[in-house]
Amino acid sequence: MRGLAAQQPGIDPSMVASTQTIVADIRRARQRSSLRFRLIFIGTWFVLVGGLSVALASTGRIHVDFLAEWAPFFLGGVPLTIFVSVVSIAFAVVFALIGALGRISTIAPIFATATLYVSLVRGTPLIVQIFFVYSALPQFGIVLPAIVAGIFALSFNYGAYMTEIFRAGIEAVPRGQIEAAHALGMSDAQTMRRIVLPQAVRIVIPAIGNEFIAMIKDSALVSFVALQELFWRARTTGSANFASFETLIFAAVVYWLLTITFSTAQEWLERRMRESDRRT
Amino acid sequence: MRRSFRGPAHGLVLAVFVAACSGGAATTAPSTGARSPAATTPGASTSATTPAATQIVPIAGGLLDKIMKAGKIVVSTDPKYPPQSKQKPDGSFEGFDIDVANEIGKRLGVTVEYTTPDWTAITAGGWGGRWDMSVGSMTITPDRAKALDFSPPYYFTPAQMTVRTDTGITSIDGLVGKTVCSGEGTTYDQWLNGTLDFGPAGKPAPPPAGIKSTTLPTDTDCPDQWKAGRNDFEGWLSSITTVDGAIDADLPVTKVGDPVYLEPLGVAVDKSGPTTTDFVAWLTVTIAEMHADGTLSEFSEKWFKTDYTLPPTP
Repeated sequence: MRGLAAQQPGIDPSMVASTQTIVADIRRARQRSSLRFRLIFIGTWFVLVGGLSVALASTGRIHVDFLAEWAPFFLGGVPLTIFVSVVSIAFAVVFALIGALGRISTIAPIFATATLYVSLVRGTPLIVQIFFVYSALPQFGIVLPAIVAGIFALSFNYGAYMTEIFRAGIEAVPRGQIEAAHALGMSDAQTMRRIVLPQAVRIVIPAIGNEFIAMIKDSALVSFVALQELFWRARTTGSANFASFETLIFAAVVYWLLTITFSTAQEWLERRMRESDRRT
Repeated sequence: MRRSFRGPAHGLVLAVFVAACSGGAATTAPSTGARSPAATTPGASTSATTPAATQIVPIAGGLLDKIMKAGKIVVSTDPKYPPQSKQKPDGSFEGFDIDVANEIGKRLGVTVEYTTPDWTAITAGGWGGRWDMSVGSMTITPDRAKALDFSPPYYFTPAQMTVRTDTGITSIDGLVGKTVCSGEGTTYDQWLNGTLDFGPAGKPAPPPAGIKSTTLPTDTDCPDQWKAGRNDFEGWLSSITTVDGAIDADLPVTKVGDPVYLEPLGVAVDKSGPTTTDFVAWLTVTIAEMHADGTLSEFSEKWFKTDYTLPPTP
């Protein structure tokens, strides 16, 4: 089995697992897909979430009619939350790609700039960056519309964190691939574009998914720039009606549902990407 | 409002109003209580008759010019602050400040649009032209006047000290050694820290020594914590209008003592945007008219059940 696996293209022979680990993996996967396991999983969630809901309801502070009246208003903020998150993560990927290429560069000024970007942006609070883009840039004559300012600040910030993820992804592509590409006569740029980056993308997809899920919650910070997304609506209504307890729990539940949805989508995407590795 | 471009007399009037309005906070000097238009604009008393708002000449490229050309005025509001500003489930706004802003828009002959940036972004200035005016019960202080230009006060609210009902405290002195909560960035926080200053109108009497202060993001968060059962602080200082709103909502809030100070609240515009002198001149006249014809009093009675628009008697 080791010999067969070692001959697969793109697989580093030193990374091939031993027979025992592969059998353990299969056993675990079979167990998780069994009906009994799944039923107990759902049952446990039911008990835990149900218990939590009952505990919250027993405080007597959740007024269903109040929430029912305001729910459409709160949910009206969800499209903006999703829009800001999706667009921001897309631009963050662009920033991260440029940053990562800078971080592996051998040209000193490029490497220095990329390192400064990562250090400065990771080292200052996101809310300060949003404030800066929104309120301080106008002093230099750059007035960005609120949504552009919010998205730019978010993507610039997340790009710095994802730069290191992308750099690790690029460096994780086996050297054999680059050597083979050079042997075929590809230039450095062609190698990067056609061989290394596609494989690096596969490695970093789980990490991007993680960042996106974090981004959904960080999108709440754009409320600073007058964007009425989900969290702002819940918090404002809660403060004005002395009902912060209920409105914030409502918002938390909606964020949780959004996260579950996108996590499931991410798992599906990962499974599709792993198909080329499956032997069954 | 229809613009009229006639005569050097208007230039003279404009100059007088510019003199009256320069310095932002200069209009907080208490008047004798008579509600004539000239009373709220000290320095303009030299003019025999107050000209109508229709005669203010917009400066080309100025704020008034920008608003008239756009046909709409963008107003910032913070709807966490009932009964001054609150949002309805359909997303529209209601409240005393909202009524005042709508009235200003009506008198200007433009539509009113609302935006909801963070309160700290509003008080910091540097709005970048994203909104034109703030009608948000903002206290006129010299610090804020560095970044913003204020209209004369459109109303005055007493700052009321309150305690959590179960503490049994009955006087402000009973709070010595205890903690009082207020909203971040509010004058109530400044007063508790002894830094509140109304500029030419002087400083209010300081709090008794030994009272500690703490802040939460907005005023209404303080009694909300009491409702939640937290006992981190014993007192809450806010405007009497917000306190009344909390008491009406059955929160465990009890007033103690007389109001600790009266603060003038004005409409604010951004100094760093287009020139504001024409718009502030127009606002000065319009707010004086709104005081005189009872519009502001009517709004005050509607939302607060009391008329807070009368200037303080010295």
